[in-house]
Amino acid sequence: MKSFGRMAYPYMAWITVFIVIPMIMIMLYAFTVQGNETLIFHFTLANFARFLQDQTFLNVLWNSLRIAVITTLCCIIIGYPAAFLIAQQDERKQGIMILLITLPMWINMLVRTYAWRGIMLHFDLSSEFKIFVGMIYNFLPYMIIQIYTSLAKLDKNLITAAQDLGANPLQTFLKVTLPLSVPGIISGITLVFLPAVSSFFIPKLLGGGDYVLIGNLIETYFVTTGDWNFGSAISLIMAAIILISMYLTRKLDRQYQED
Amino acid sequence: MRKLIEFRNIVKSFDGQVVLKGINLDIYENEFVTLLGPSGCGKTTLLRILGGFLQQDEGTIIFDGQCIDKVPPYKREINTVFQRYALFPHMDVYDNIAFGLKIKKMGKELIEQKVNRMLSLVNLEGYEHRNVTLLSGGQQQRVAIARALVNEPNVLLLDEPLGALDLKLRKEMQHELKRIQQEVGITFIYVTHDQEEALTMSDKIVVMRDGEIQQIGTPLEIYNEPVNEYVARFIGESNILPGTMVEDYLVQFDEQKYKCVDHGFKPDEPVDVLIRPEDFDIVKAKDGMMKGEVKSVIFKGVHYEMMVETISGTSKTVKMHIMTAHDQYNSDAQENITANDFFMDLEDTAKIDDLDLISRANAHAWDMSDQDLSVDDVDHDIKPAPGSYHVTYSTSKGTSITVKVFVVQPKYVEDARHNIGISAFDIYKTADEIHESMAISTDLKTWADAEAWNLQDDKPITITDVKYDFDPATIEEGEYDITFATQGREYKVETTQQFEEGDKIGLNFGPEDIHVMHRKVQG
Repeated sequence: MKSFGRMAYPYMAWITVFIVIPMIMIMLYAFTVQGNETLIFHFTLANFARFLQDQTFLNVLWNSLRIAVITTLCCIIIGYPAAFLIAQQDERKQGIMILLITLPMWINMLVRTYAWRGIMLHFDLSSEFKIFVGMIYNFLPYMIIQIYTSLAKLDKNLITAAQDLGANPLQTFLKVTLPLSVPGIISGITLVFLPAVSSFFIPKLLGGGDYVLIGNLIETYFVTTGDWNFGSAISLIMAAIILISMYLTRKLDRQYQED
Repeated sequence: MRKLIEFRNIVKSFDGQVVLKGINLDIYENEFVTLLGPSGCGKTTLLRILGGFLQQDEGTIIFDGQCIDKVPPYKREINTVFQRYALFPHMDVYDNIAFGLKIKKMGKELIEQKVNRMLSLVNLEGYEHRNVTLLSGGQQQRVAIARALVNEPNVLLLDEPLGALDLKLRKEMQHELKRIQQEVGITFIYVTHDQEEALTMSDKIVVMRDGEIQQIGTPLEIYNEPVNEYVARFIGESNILPGTMVEDYLVQFDEQKYKCVDHGFKPDEPVDVLIRPEDFDIVKAKDGMMKGEVKSVIFKGVHYEMMVETISGTSKTVKMHIMTAHDQYNSDAQENITANDFFMDLEDTAKIDDLDLISRANAHAWDMSDQDLSVDDVDHDIKPAPGSYHVTYSTSKGTSITVKVFVVQPKYVEDARHNIGISAFDIYKTADEIHESMAISTDLKTWADAEAWNLQDDKPITITDVKYDFDPATIEEGEYDITFATQGREYKVETTQQFEEGDKIGLNFGPEDIHVMHRKVQG
């Protein structure tokens, strides 16, 4: 094992250069003000105060969370039945259907979103609706795959056993199939909610510029305004929210398992 | 007893393969019925059809006077203990057992009372809130039984429930299951391939084979009076011999007539005769109805299991000539070559090929560094008539050796009484070849071309015995006898007395120890 340990060094270097150092820099930016000299930093919480005191910013944050939550819920509502249906098929059909679902993911997400923009141009739809369509379309496969995986490895004998004990198909689903597929739903939520809450090009391309979500806000401050300190602070607030929501999901999952 | 379940002509096939060929079976109240058969005999399929998890292609099941063909599994008053238990991993022991009751929307207190009663029935008090995935196999088994029984079904189906347990636990659970069945007083239908399990627990055994029922009976009936060779072999140890039913109460096998208790056969009908290994009495050789020699003894704990040969096999003895190696050394090419004289069957001269001649003479060549060389040229003057001829083997560089080949009309030993022919040739070998042999008996058979066959249909018979009186490790030049023999008549005998291999003993048995069965015509 020791010799294998050495093989981790390149990865550790990679992680340091591309993850740890940038994270430290973001932290540094978030807690300082513009105009730092090389070695002197002016530490401040002003960036955070500015965000939390401004109603516009809070509205953006609220909108982002709302859209991410609704997107995730829609993905579960559409994705679960889809995954359930796929898991009922024979093995060969399952393979084909999973392939069909993952196939669009081989094409760049940006290209697909542009396609949606073209399609929806001809319809009079609200910006928010267009963003939902784009998000659900892009993230649905992750949800389906996760739920399908947990349903596929479910022991068929458990279904038979539930029926044997008098449960009709609906009761069997509610008492056996659904609870045992919860871990799949949870990891599906993680895979959909996180990118949905921080996505910036979907609202940008489909929302037509007038619809700002937190991802767009960060982009604006980094790219357009050049205020890296405020941009970093927003990023950190986002990261905190994501961490908390992940923690809550995990906790919910564990509670469910124990019940 | 009241008839509870009737299978009427149940037929089922999967992908065109018929798994059940018209099963008719009645099961009564409070019976412990075992469906016994090897895997693939259709026993589990029959159980799943009864549970409602599979639909039969043809036939009807009557349950308590009602046809249940269209009743879905969750409405049948039948519960199942599955092969791998199928406990719900997201529920604890209590919730697993309470599952069926909660489905029926029973009151909370009533559920608790019933679950507790079940827990004590299966000896799992105090395990209510254990995680089922962390229980041992035996405990999971008990939970599965409790979960099924708590619903108070009329019938409990058990699909090889003890298959995953180790031997000791399995024996314990056998008694446990029998006790539970007697305590709750309902019908158990138990599927297994383990004949001992079936004998221990059942009131009634149904022996199945290839989708058909072979025999239905109590364990005692099945053991003592199997209807055919298949059932006899499947249940217990057995000696099964071909025989002829001379007249009622008189059967002939191994050239002798014996009194028996069986009757109702056609005169001179060919039959199978069963004698259980434990039914023999061992006496002095001169006093026995059969005399034999102990061929092998295996200690089985309570008893010894011996193979006793009462009729020796047919044999043929040949000579093996051990000669000095006459290797030829070619100093020009720096090569060696060697080959042995050999015998050849006159019939084989019709088609002679070089590779065959090389292997018969064991011809091979090698260079100074011991690398094998190929024998490239084989020259012979063999004619299709008995006599002695020459074969010359040579390599590409001209190193050669000439050996003798004796073409003979093979003489075989004929045992007309048992329809066996056996033949073998004398062989010429060098001592080195014997030393180097890894499996001397097999090699001797190959070298001597020893074979045995049935005189009537020419089918080959295995040569089981190769006897020789030399030590392969120290053999020297000279002539040796080798005897090839087929197996004679051997009986499996169980006894608590200890005998040595080679002991001569007599075997006695009474008319009631013989069981005569109709010979089943193989489809």
